[in-house]
This record gives sequence, structure tokens and C-alpha cells, in this order.
Amino acid sequence: MQHSETMERYGDGYLEERNLVQRWPSPIPQILNLVLLGALFYATWWIFQDPRGWMRLYTPYVGYMYCRWLLIIFIWMVYIFNFWPFRRAWLERTHPVLKGVLLTGIAVVIMLMVIKGFFEGLLGNYGMAYFSPDEMQKLGITEFFAEEYAALAILMFAALASWLSPAWIVGMEGAPWHKERQPVRGLTILLVTFFLATIIFFMTMHPHMGILYEEWQSFAAIAPPWWHTFADTVSGNFHVSWIMCCTVVVWLVETIWERYPFRLIRHDWGRRFATFFGIIAIAFACHFFLYFAQELWWGEAVRGTRRLMAPDWRWLHVGEMMIFFLLPALFITFYFNNWPRKGSPTSRIAIRTLVTLVAAIAIYWLYYNTSHLLLGTQKGFSHPQQFPMIPTIWLINIMLINHWFMDNWPGWKIAPATRTVPASESGAALDPALNPAE
Amino acid sequence: MTDSSQGPNDDRRAFLRGAVGGTALGALGMMGAYSYSPMRHAHFDTPETEKADIGAVVSLKVTNISETSWFNNADLIGDIRGAGGLLVNQYKFNWPPFANKNGKLAEGSYADGIKHIKADLPNNLERAWEFQMENAVHPENAGGYSALLEFEMRDGSTKRILLDSGWSYDWIDKAFRREGIDTMLANGEIDALVISHEHFDHFWGFPVAMKYAPDIDVYVPDGFYEEGYQYVKDSGHRGKLHVLKPGLTKLFDGVAVYNFAIPIITRVYGENSLYVNVEGKGLVSVTGCCHQGIIQFAETALREIKMDKLYGIYGGLHISPFDDWDPKYDDLVFTLGDYGFEKIGANHCTGLLTVKKFIARGLPVQQGTARFGSKDPVYLGNGDQIGFGRDVPLMSPVSADAAPAAYAPPASGDGDAVEGATY
Repeated sequence: MQHSETMERYGDGYLEERNLVQRWPSPIPQILNLVLLGALFYATWWIFQDPRGWMRLYTPYVGYMYCRWLLIIFIWMVYIFNFWPFRRAWLERTHPVLKGVLLTGIAVVIMLMVIKGFFEGLLGNYGMAYFSPDEMQKLGITEFFAEEYAALAILMFAALASWLSPAWIVGMEGAPWHKERQPVRGLTILLVTFFLATIIFFMTMHPHMGILYEEWQSFAAIAPPWWHTFADTVSGNFHVSWIMCCTVVVWLVETIWERYPFRLIRHDWGRRFATFFGIIAIAFACHFFLYFAQELWWGEAVRGTRRLMAPDWRWLHVGEMMIFFLLPALFITFYFNNWPRKGSPTSRIAIRTLVTLVAAIAIYWLYYNTSHLLLGTQKGFSHPQQFPMIPTIWLINIMLINHWFMDNWPGWKIAPATRTVPASESGAALDPALNPAE
Repeated sequence: MTDSSQGPNDDRRAFLRGAVGGTALGALGMMGAYSYSPMRHAHFDTPETEKADIGAVVSLKVTNISETSWFNNADLIGDIRGAGGLLVNQYKFNWPPFANKNGKLAEGSYADGIKHIKADLPNNLERAWEFQMENAVHPENAGGYSALLEFEMRDGSTKRILLDSGWSYDWIDKAFRREGIDTMLANGEIDALVISHEHFDHFWGFPVAMKYAPDIDVYVPDGFYEEGYQYVKDSGHRGKLHVLKPGLTKLFDGVAVYNFAIPIITRVYGENSLYVNVEGKGLVSVTGCCHQGIIQFAETALREIKMDKLYGIYGGLHISPFDDWDPKYDDLVFTLGDYGFEKIGANHCTGLLTVKKFIARGLPVQQGTARFGSKDPVYLGNGDQIGFGRDVPLMSPVSADAAPAAYAPPASGDGDAVEGATY
């Protein structure tokens, strides 16, 4: 079908083209939004997650599952479907608060349909029992652990999807479907990335689930898992580690690195493959290096033990450390217009990376010294119920709502005239903050 | 393709950027490859530190007073789920003995609960427990963990430690009386009460011990919360309270406590475990729950204590206490045999499946008799005994009189005796 300039573009290019201007000089908008984010985070944390609060979903896996799936639904709605079916005029003219409430509400409904309908209802009842708490209870698992085990399996799908979905947009630039109209483009990329996530799930988390139950499901899964001698553990946390590294590196490349150095490659498919697989290569380097860093700090891991010295926890903690890098990187991009904007790309990226590194270490220190007081989690690093990924992703979700759905309200507003990005540019950079300053 | 109509300066700049980017990525890749290569082990050579000499005992006998902390997993874990999960403060559950008159799950507190029973502690425990039966959440599910450790000293004397004080006043008092602990406490034959950690099933039966020996020396781990310290006072303790700091503390010749500063579920922090050095045999690890992990406990001993070898294990190992599982627990089953333990008496929070896997793996597990509420003979059960450095009958003499075993466990390490475990 031929494209037409008059055809409704929905939210295609909306993030690049909206002209966000600060309502007040810096740092007032940044402080204001930080206060709003903090208040929303703490209120919703108390309502939904806090073990001392109202719904107490931080069991931990049930709450973890919901916050991971909410993240991926946001990514689907904005990065893959470009706000389809919402029209451009509606996005530009509707009050940010109304947009935030409505779009978040839709995301929650989709999330519940995916979790309750697709995973628990369809896959759990007609495919693999470990996705369904009800099916597991029929097999004799107590209600609590049936819910936890099912939540673990379901959230691991989200972990894979939250790497692969944005990676296809950032790395592969949505190709070869980037010129298709919505919803064809969105549906195609969704199905392709979900398919890839399914394959990787079966090679990584399925063997973990295969020995979670007694007796080992040796005819259905590789048992003991194929990686256990290399990773020094049978636990799937080995894969959680590199998958989380991939997820975070995608966003580092997309935000503070402005897709450098891969954007220097002029050949389209060369650049796409280099970016997609380069992200994976960087992630694996982080995966191994952060494990080594823990060995240097706490001593060599000992297989069979628990918590701080256990290889399975060390791998998990690699992923946990990586998520602390994501918070400041996103904040710099969303609320500081990807500062600094002047200078060479090398110097800009070096400064942002350094700031992100320092901020991540500060947040890490702050988290482990205060989370048991503020968030109701447990003291110490390695308690089995200590999952820093839950509050950090919860906060990231709120940042994404504010930046993607609410146009950085209240510190920012959309200026009346939005600029139009040429079609050739729109596929390469999805946020104005990512466009190079030069 | 992107625009290629650029001048030589642009090309040079792009080349330099590419070179910088490529070098940075290459360096990152090399760093990653090195980080998990065998070469990294060169960084872990640590100098040999001086090991502590804790002395030695001639032998150790452990009598399992009660390993049954609760009777129904579904009720316990259902309460935890209903209250908001594994991180909810244990004093909020409205479990006995801190029931308020509300009696609703997750709406209790220490202050609300203790005011109803404080006047009855420690000498009118029957009345205190009656109140719990009427008002608490699942009072019938409360049991408790407690063990008697008897040391044959090198000077010929005997020393005794009571490890933990259980949970239900009713259950643990009956268990004490069954094993003659009440008399030993009252006669001052037990030298100390060591509380492994603040958990309900190890500590909340504290007033029962106080009923018989209010002046006994009590050892608790650093990390007790305010409610825990208050409960020690409210229970009528008049003796010396020792708060053990993280690390090794020698109690007497051959016996030491190691405090691990670790977070534990239901808002508990810190655990005391015991090392007992048996002369000519090796080191025995005695634990309440061993939340630090038995491998960590063993590695700590190898690093810090003079000994011949690792010899024995008794107690809860906290692997799958709720009959739950995680593949990482299989890492323990794979590796525990490498440490050379010769005698393992496991129960309580170890998990039946874990012990079955140990046995299937060929580990030297001393099985029990499944009496007085112990569910399965793979556990060293209530009323059972295990000796380290000496032979002891499997059933304690008084319990054998009360309930002879209907089941004779196979010799330790006989993997064929257990079904239902892969390996």
C-alpha cells in the first residue's frame, strides 16, 4: 500500500517531534518533577507493593511480575505501536494528566489480559502447568508457592521481551518493517520479538523450571541445565544476569550514548546488525565483569552456599547492579535534555557515562542503606526477598509514564508548534534528546 | 544507506570517532573476557590467617526435643501470604502468643499482644495459652524447635546447652517434660540457653524455659529487634543476657558460637550457630535454622577454626522449609558431599525433599523414628538422639518408654531406602 502524507500517523514520530519546553528556568522543573515522581512512586509503592502497605504484592515474585509486565506493555505501546490507535491530534491536545491516567489504565488492562488471559489461562491450562497457579495447586504445591513459581515463569518472559522489543527498534531500527503502517508494523515486530523471546525462554528459563519440581522433568527439559558447570550453578539467574545487562545496555545506547558508536556505520544493515549484536556483546562484557567485581569485593563465590557467597545470587546481583545504571541514564535524558549537548560526541558520551556511573553508585549505596526502612524490604544485600529490581523498575515505570504519556508535566509543556522530523530521521532517533547537538 | 556526500574532513572525523568507539568497545570486550577467564583466579590468593583454637570436647550428644515448628505448611504459608509475604514483621501476624482481641491476620503487634499475657509470664502459661487458643491466628499450628546439647568435657565433667526455646507454650512444655528438660532446667543442670535467632518457632516459647530456670544465662544474636529484647524481660528472665556480636565467640572448651549478621524472613536479623570440636573426630556444626547456609558455615569453619576435619552436622539447614524448591538448592546437594561430613542429622527447616535428595546422593544421613509429630523418618525426629564421638541409642531412653518406634530406619547413606528424589 502506498504511503500518503495525509494518512493518519497516529503517534508515529510524536516523541521526536513534540517540542517540550520548560515552564520555569532550571532547576525548578527538574526538582518539581523529581518531587512528583518521588511522591507517585512512594504512594503507589505503598498501595501496591510494600510488605507493610495495602495490597502487599511484593511477595516478591507476584509484585515483580506485575512491574516487569507493566514496563514491557509501556514499551509496546510507545516504541512498537507508536501510540496507535491514538491520533496525533489527541496526543498533542489532551491534558497530560488525562493522557497519563488513560494510557496507564489501558496498559494495566493489557497487562492483566496478558498475565491472566494468555499466560495463566491459555498457556497454563492448555500448555505448561507451571504458568498456572491453579494447575500447580492441583499437583500439590501450596497456594503461596504456586503463585510465586507461576509469577517467576511469567516475569521471565517479560524480562526477555523488555530486552528484545526495544532492541529491535534501537538495534534493528524496526527493519525490515519500519516503513509499514501501524498497526501492521507494531504487530509484526511484536510477534517477531515475542517469538525470539519464546525461543530464548525455552533455552534459558525452561530448564530452570524443569528442575524446580520433583521429579526433574528430564524428558521435557535439559536436566541438570546445560550451563551449570560453566556458570557454577544450575540456577537460571545466570541468564537473568546477561538478559538484564542486555536490557540496560539497549537503553544506554539509546539514551546517553546517542546510539554511538554504531551510528557511524553507514551501511544500513551493517549498522543494524552491529548495533543489535554489539549491544549483546557489551552486555556480556558487563555480565562477566560485574561478577568478577563482586569476587574482588566479597571473595570468590562458593557453589552450594547461599546468599552473598553463592554463584546464583552473584549472577542475580549483576542484573541488580545494572538496573542502578539505568535510573540516572534515563533521568539525564528525560529531564536534563541529555546534558551535555555541546562538544564532540566522544566527550558528551564520556561525561554522561561518568555522571551515570557516579550516580548509580550513589543510588546503590542509598538503596541498601535505606530500603528496609523506606520500602519495607529486608536489610542486607542478599536476602532471598531483597529484589532491588522491583522498586527500581517501579520507579522507571513512573518515569516512563511521566515522560512518554504526560510530556514531562508539570515541569514541561508542549509548545504550540511542533517540529516535523523527516521520515528518514524519524527511524534513527526516537526522542529529541537523542539528536546530536551539533 | 545514509548520506555519503561528505568531504575529507568529515571522513577523517568519522574515522577517528569510529576508531575511538571501536577501541572502547574492544577494551570492554577484553575486560569482559578476562573477567571470567581462569586468569582471574590470580586475584583471589588471600594470605593464610591465624585460626582460632576453640579447644575440644570428648563427645557430643544431641537430643532432639522438638524439630516440629508447625504442623501444617499450608496454614503457615497461607498466613504469610495473607499477611503480605515473607517480609512482613513476624509480630504483626497475630500469631500466638501475641494475639490481640481482634484476632485478625496481620493486624497484631507485640505491644497489643503482650498486654494480654504479661501477668501470666512465666508461671501461669496454661492461662496465657488458653487466651491464644481463643484469639490467635492458627494457634493449633504452633510447635517449636529446641534441642539439648550434652558435652563430655576433657576433664570428665558434663556441660549442657539448651538450643532454642520453641514456640507454643503448650507444645514445648510437654516436649520438655517428655525429655526431662524441665527437671534439668530446674536443677541448674543446663549451663546456658542459646537462642539461634528471633524467629517465632525458635524464640517465642521463651517463657517456658523461664518458668523452670529464670536465672539461666541466655545468649541471643546481635540483631534482635526491640520487641525481642522486651520479650526476654517480659518473660521474667533474671539471669545474664549475652548479645553475641558477629563472628566467633568461644563459650567453653571445645564449644563456640558464630554469629552471622544476615537478614532473615519475617523481619528477623542475625543467627547464632554452634561449632563443637570433637577430639579425634573433627568439627560438628549445630544449627537452629542455618540461614547462612551450611556451606557458608563449613567454609567459615575451614577458614577460621583449628580442627582435624569437618565431621558432623545437626539441626535445621533451611533449604526447603515449606516443601518449596529452587534449583539453586540443587547446587548444595551437588556439593555438600565434597566437604567430607561423616554424620548428618537433619530436620526442621531442612525440608523433607532436601534430605531425600541427600540420601539419594549417598550422603551419610542419620535417619530417625518419626515419632511425636515428626512427619517422616528421613528426619532425625522428635525424641531421637545423635552422637558425635560416641554411640548413643537412636531414641532417647525416656521417649522410648513413652513411644517405641514402629519404624526402623536404614543405615545412613543408604540411597536405595528413599523414593521420590532425583539423583
